[in-house]
Amino acid sequence: MSAPELDLPHQLGRGLLSTMRSLLVLGQLMTESTGEQQILDLTVTAVPSLARCQVIGIQRVGGATGSPELEAQLGLVGVTGGRIELPDAAWSWAYPLGGLAGHFGHLVVAADVEPTTEEQFLLRALAQQSGAALSNQHLHAQERTTAAELSAVNERLRGTVGALQRSMEIHGRLTAVAVSGEGRDGIARAVHELTGLPVAIEDRYGNLGAWAGPNRPDPYPKDSPSRREQLLRSASRSIRPIRDGGRLLALAHPQGDILGVIVLVDPAGIAGEHELMALEHGATILAMELARVRSLAESELRIRRDLVDELLAGADEESTLTRAIALGYDLQRPHRVLVIEGHGRAKDNDAFFQAVRHAAREEPAGTLLVARGPQVVLLADCEADWESLRNAILRELGGGRARIGVGERCDRLADFPRSYRQARLAMRLLAAAEWDDRVVRFDDLGVYRLLIGNEDLGEVERFVQRWIGSLLAYDQQRGADLVRTLSHYLDRGGSYEATAAALIVHRNTLKYRLQRIRQITGLDLADPEICFNLALATRAWHTLSALRG
Amino acid sequence: MTTPATTSGFVAMGLPGVTARRCDHICAFYRGPDQRDAVLLPFLREGILAGDKCICVMDDPDTDRVIGPLSDTLDIELSMRNGQLDLLGSDTAYLPNGYFAVDEMLEFWERGVGDAVQQAGFGFVRAVGEMTWALRDLPGVQHLVTYEARLNRFLPRYPQVILCLYDLERFTDGQVLIELLRTHPKVLLSGQLLDNPWYTEPSEYLSDLT
Repeated sequence: MSAPELDLPHQLGRGLLSTMRSLLVLGQLMTESTGEQQILDLTVTAVPSLARCQVIGIQRVGGATGSPELEAQLGLVGVTGGRIELPDAAWSWAYPLGGLAGHFGHLVVAADVEPTTEEQFLLRALAQQSGAALSNQHLHAQERTTAAELSAVNERLRGTVGALQRSMEIHGRLTAVAVSGEGRDGIARAVHELTGLPVAIEDRYGNLGAWAGPNRPDPYPKDSPSRREQLLRSASRSIRPIRDGGRLLALAHPQGDILGVIVLVDPAGIAGEHELMALEHGATILAMELARVRSLAESELRIRRDLVDELLAGADEESTLTRAIALGYDLQRPHRVLVIEGHGRAKDNDAFFQAVRHAAREEPAGTLLVARGPQVVLLADCEADWESLRNAILRELGGGRARIGVGERCDRLADFPRSYRQARLAMRLLAAAEWDDRVVRFDDLGVYRLLIGNEDLGEVERFVQRWIGSLLAYDQQRGADLVRTLSHYLDRGGSYEATAAALIVHRNTLKYRLQRIRQITGLDLADPEICFNLALATRAWHTLSALRG
Repeated sequence: MTTPATTSGFVAMGLPGVTARRCDHICAFYRGPDQRDAVLLPFLREGILAGDKCICVMDDPDTDRVIGPLSDTLDIELSMRNGQLDLLGSDTAYLPNGYFAVDEMLEFWERGVGDAVQQAGFGFVRAVGEMTWALRDLPGVQHLVTYEARLNRFLPRYPQVILCLYDLERFTDGQVLIELLRTHPKVLLSGQLLDNPWYTEPSEYLSDLT
């Protein structure tokens, strides 16, 4: 069924003109409306003013009408609209609500009597206006959505750019610190300036290395070692800085090795993303700085080690001197070579080396030293009190053992290998003679020194065999300990008491052993001349043992 | 040059090509504060320049900020001191006791407009009301359209124009909009002042209501 036709020029009367103006006002109001419901309300409310009919409803596309028959009819009339059949209504019509943005549904009206042509024209015009307003609304909504999306994207972009700018500012500031060589103090100062919060830089043990900002604690609080380790483990597992009470911590740990910790003091918890970012950048720059410092220290240590090795092995004087001068070291001062052995409560060569290094620096006794297995070789550049040095090492170790062999003075570079040999010999004699831990100066070795200096060791060997050869053979065959017993006995001036204590044997055992010695050698231990030769022979035996290494 | 409404019978609204008549009761539809100010400020500016009494009732709590731009070209302080411009909040004018009463409101205008004309000697009065207060959940606000209808009887009593500001972003109920259309003889919409064909005389409208 087609829409009623309207012959406007003939029918445009005064009343219709007024009504059309009403439609115009309504249309404008719909255009200005802010929501679809407002438009639909206006449409529905206006219908009775335009035509003698009632509104059945506005059926949105896809919306349920509650009446399958009505839905089917609306589907048939489609976007053009048209007459439909409703129960109890002589006349009913579906006016399409459509516009540029599509078809939104139908305005369904009904009347007991078919409305006039003018009225139907007005109803159609109202539906068209509603459709146009809905279409406008739809397009505006789309535009608003697009604008909102664009705005959100812009906002995110602004946020990203802002974060990047802040990041660049932080990075730039800290990089400048790194390049300027201001070290840990500079890094702490920069992070403090960037965050406004106090900043501490600690070593891995919790000792304060640098502070920037107000209220520096004095003394600086330090966690127990176990809590510190626990904290560092937690921080290592976290990608971002971690909070520990009123502090935010970030680790400087290139390649997993914790070199230091940078701390933002934030008891009020005001640090935000910007502050965290500054802390993280600070940790990165601190890691670089600490790695650089450590690398320098390692290089210097390596160069020093090489220098010591060359000196001990007999170096080319000119190149060695040049190297020493480059290190800021005066090799042309008199030196002595010291060989030092020992350990703390635990046998840790590295800890022992560090203890010797600290003690030698504090004493002072010298700064050139190398580790050689369990021993540390120190080139002492002054005549220190060696016993005091030994005690200082024990203090550094917190107990344990320490003994030192001291070589003769080196006045020239060529003397270093000799002084080194002497120090090692002194150390071996100390072991061979079973002396207590002590300092043994080669200069003070007395008869040992004479024996070592003897060029013909065969004569020394024959002397040993002449006096204690039978005892050595007996010990070897029987697994006995007679030479050692004799040596201790003679060293202690024939004291049974002291000898038994040193050998940790019973007095009767000692007496038995001495009787065996008398029987095997046929010598009288009460004869001073014999005792002297036996003492010399045992020392010569120690010397030979030491020389044979 | 602004021509006084007292002599010409025409009232410049301050908008290009928009002129009201004496005793017009205008419903201005707008969307949001910017569009409101685009109607309100020129209306007041024209009134002050013409020497009219201006009574402005705002629901926006920051009235000073709203009318602030007028100070660019006018001495607003002076206008307020000499009684040409009254700035009032909706709580003071429409809801003085925490509720809305039609009779009390009409008395308010009677006093305000009557005194301005009869005692202060103003030749013309411009009254403007921002109507969003009527959306509050307060006693009496349901009588808004009755008030608007009865206001039409008050208009001819004095040389005046009353401009009612309705924000379409706040007044979203289409049925209410139709009622507002029926109670205002003039509609200001999209920069056009229209004779409102929906307008219904108060006697007819009020009898329909009852």
